[in-house]
Amino acid sequence: MKNYLKLVNFEFNRVAKLFVVLLGITLVIQMVGVIVLSKEYLNMANEKIYEDMMTKIEFLENFGKMNFSQIVRSIWFFGPIGLCAAGVGFYIFLIWYRDWVGKNTFIYRLLMLPTTRLNIFYAKITNILILTFGLVAFQLIIMPIEMLVMKGMVPTEFRSDMGLNKIIAVMPELSIIIPRSLIELILYYGAGVLAVAILFTAILMERSFKWKGILVGLLYSAIAVVFMILPLLLQEFVFNGFFYPIELLGIEIVMGVMVLTASVWLSRFLLMKKITV
Amino acid sequence: MKKYWKSIAILVVILLSLGTYYVNAAMSAEHYPEFVIRTLSGDANEIRPLVLDSSYAADTSTRSYTYTSLKINADGSTYNNSSFLDQLIGQPPTLIKSLRKEYPTFMRGKDPFADYFFENKEYLAYADVKYGTLSSRNYKFDIAVLNKKDEKTNSFKVEVPNEKGLENVSVEDVQMVDGVLYLITHNMMRDQEDLHDEKHIYIIDQGNQKISNHEAIIQVPEQQDNLRTDLQFIRTSPTKANDHLFILKTEKKMIEDTESTREEVVGQEVISYNIAMKETEKINVPDLKLDENQLSFADESTIYFMTLDGEELVVTPYSLMDDQVGQAYRIQLSGEDGMAYAYMTTVKAGKLYIVSAQMTPKIGADVIVADAHSGKTLFKGQIALKDASKEKGNFELYMNEMFVD
Amino acid sequence: MIEVKAVEKKFGRKKILKGVSFTANKGEITCLIGINGVGKTTILNAIMALTPINKGEILIDGKPLDKHSFEKITFIPDAITMLPQMTIAEAMEFMKDFYTCWNQERATELLGFFRLNQSDRISSLSKGNTAKVNLLLGLALDVDYVLMDEPFSGIDMFSREEIANVFTSHLIENRGVIITTHEVGDIEHLIDKVVLLDNGLVTKEFSAEEARENEGKSVIDVMREVYHR
Repeated sequence: MKNYLKLVNFEFNRVAKLFVVLLGITLVIQMVGVIVLSKEYLNMANEKIYEDMMTKIEFLENFGKMNFSQIVRSIWFFGPIGLCAAGVGFYIFLIWYRDWVGKNTFIYRLLMLPTTRLNIFYAKITNILILTFGLVAFQLIIMPIEMLVMKGMVPTEFRSDMGLNKIIAVMPELSIIIPRSLIELILYYGAGVLAVAILFTAILMERSFKWKGILVGLLYSAIAVVFMILPLLLQEFVFNGFFYPIELLGIEIVMGVMVLTASVWLSRFLLMKKITV
Repeated sequence: MKKYWKSIAILVVILLSLGTYYVNAAMSAEHYPEFVIRTLSGDANEIRPLVLDSSYAADTSTRSYTYTSLKINADGSTYNNSSFLDQLIGQPPTLIKSLRKEYPTFMRGKDPFADYFFENKEYLAYADVKYGTLSSRNYKFDIAVLNKKDEKTNSFKVEVPNEKGLENVSVEDVQMVDGVLYLITHNMMRDQEDLHDEKHIYIIDQGNQKISNHEAIIQVPEQQDNLRTDLQFIRTSPTKANDHLFILKTEKKMIEDTESTREEVVGQEVISYNIAMKETEKINVPDLKLDENQLSFADESTIYFMTLDGEELVVTPYSLMDDQVGQAYRIQLSGEDGMAYAYMTTVKAGKLYIVSAQMTPKIGADVIVADAHSGKTLFKGQIALKDASKEKGNFELYMNEMFVD
Repeated sequence: MIEVKAVEKKFGRKKILKGVSFTANKGEITCLIGINGVGKTTILNAIMALTPINKGEILIDGKPLDKHSFEKITFIPDAITMLPQMTIAEAMEFMKDFYTCWNQERATELLGFFRLNQSDRISSLSKGNTAKVNLLLGLALDVDYVLMDEPFSGIDMFSREEIANVFTSHLIENRGVIITTHEVGDIEHLIDKVVLLDNGLVTKEFSAEEARENEGKSVIDVMREVYHR
């Protein structure tokens, strides 16, 4: 346990710089987006009211009030989130391959630590989770600040304010990243951890068996996916909706735990018996 | 400790940020107004058996709002809060929910439509149509009958007799008369180019798990020139036993104006069908003006023809025992510009229940219970916000279905 | 004692080790000698479970390797196994964090011995100094066995001398050492035991001292005999 925590900390320190860069990019681009979009709206209002001689009421009827969800829907907001998602996705692979790369093969050191090699696996998966939650948490912190900036720029009569919860609730894309309830958070990110564990297993297969390992890894991933959707397919085509939805959720959770266990067990086996530096 | 500060910092940030968000979300999610049925006159006990399946949306002035379903009864309102798990479980109508609670095994894999079910003291029956591939049109009845006494389920699939030109089959009612199972369906038949609507009855031999007999109750062309005929069953309690079916046949003429087409009712008749005897009979009710308002209801041996006249509901009971038209009565409803708002009605055990379909801060919603025969109002009330002073802003409340236990 | 028993290893279809067996005792320096590509590094990797073997068995003090073994045996590969962006101090801190057998006194001693600067970043070090840090990180562990892969290759003469000096010091005393080299000259006088590898097999396993005393032959003489046959 102690070694696991030390490894988690160590791995996080290795990625901290990249992480801060991602946070910085997100903050800057989103903030610029808020300012640009607010400015655009204000310019339009000015143009309509002072040049086209529209009344304020007419303008509001035709163009509506400025709302933070308009900003959320823009590329300014979603671009950085996409970038961060891509970054984490990329890092899922990099977190392993960086240890093999170059003359300074750190994997020697990791594999020779006097602790179970599975701790390396756990530490890396924990780090992916920390990065993801870190980005989500940061997004939750900067959104209210961005709202304040918009409030500062757009006068009250031209904007309709929405709470943070409301905005997330009406944006389906956002509510995947930031689920509305704790249960969903656990289920969504549990599924995410499962997916990462499957990928890690596939990566370790590649590291153990090289080219053949890629095939085996792909096969394993495919089997895992089939295993996960099997209950849904059976429910639809064989059992004709035999299970109540809550039971299906239970079955899916059991399946997920089974696949996760299989992945951890396989990874342990590979790290102990098959891995090669 | 120096080397740990980054990890500790990020963990603290994650916990605080997500923690704050979800604590906030949990607290603000609670904010739904409570509705009650406020008694204006009569005996509040009359609404004890009533459950209204409703949906609520707050602040409909903004473009983005969602509906939350709730149930309103004499005790107030309960929200099926829109939590993930509740959404997953789904919001079946109250009837289906109570059946699921009582017969969880039997209810597995059954579509949650009240019309597909029949219930009496001994049996709970279910029937639905399953399709083969779209091209083959291989229709099968999916039938299941639960014997409540020995808790045995007879469930089987039986092919729908493939008559020439059968285009579509849908189950509209399931009945059981003297232990015999009947499926009443709406069939669409194609005769070359013309489509026909048809009410069909299938008699199921449960022992041999096959269809022992079937026939068309009534068939009408869907559209001929400018004439269109609608066939509609007069509503009954969805699961209740009926030995008669009542079909409202409405003929409409399409009248083309310069800019639009409108429909005019040219003829309307009520047909009674005795399930066991397979006899069709026309019921003559003078001055039927049921038109668009499908409020009529059949219960036990009486059909209650209901139509809206201005802000009043006109109810004409028709006794089947002696083929007599009873004394019509009128019930005052609330409305606007001389027109009543939309209403739902149902009759159970000689009582007529009337509930508004919609409520907003401007439109009040009535709840009325009356003696179905005499029209004497037993209860009159209104759905109201429990704490009106606290609730500001716009909202919409829709009553989707009513369930009388 | 490290026992390597009939170890076979394939890379794809190519068999690199065809049944290698030898032992290395505590308190002795055992030298694996063979030309490049003969599988010396693979044997060391296999002992540390860093690569799987197809057949055979490797025992350390009579037991197969497990996670606790890494407090008893360490491996110094031919390249440094620390992150280049770390300073020497951070690298030592890392070792101290994970190994209970880390001996800080000895590490400090080695730092002085090699004249290394703690605050230097590993990536900024010369080849010779990098090799010394690598050696330091391995030798500062209080382990019974040390495996070294080509500790002298590609290092300048002065560094080579300094490293060679380590072998005669108390830093090595009482430990079992396995060292690989393709060029025995520098360390001939240090080694106790020689394992000659060729073509995936051990061609000769002999004690350097015995050869010297009984037959009057140096290690190189024996090698010539073996390879010219």
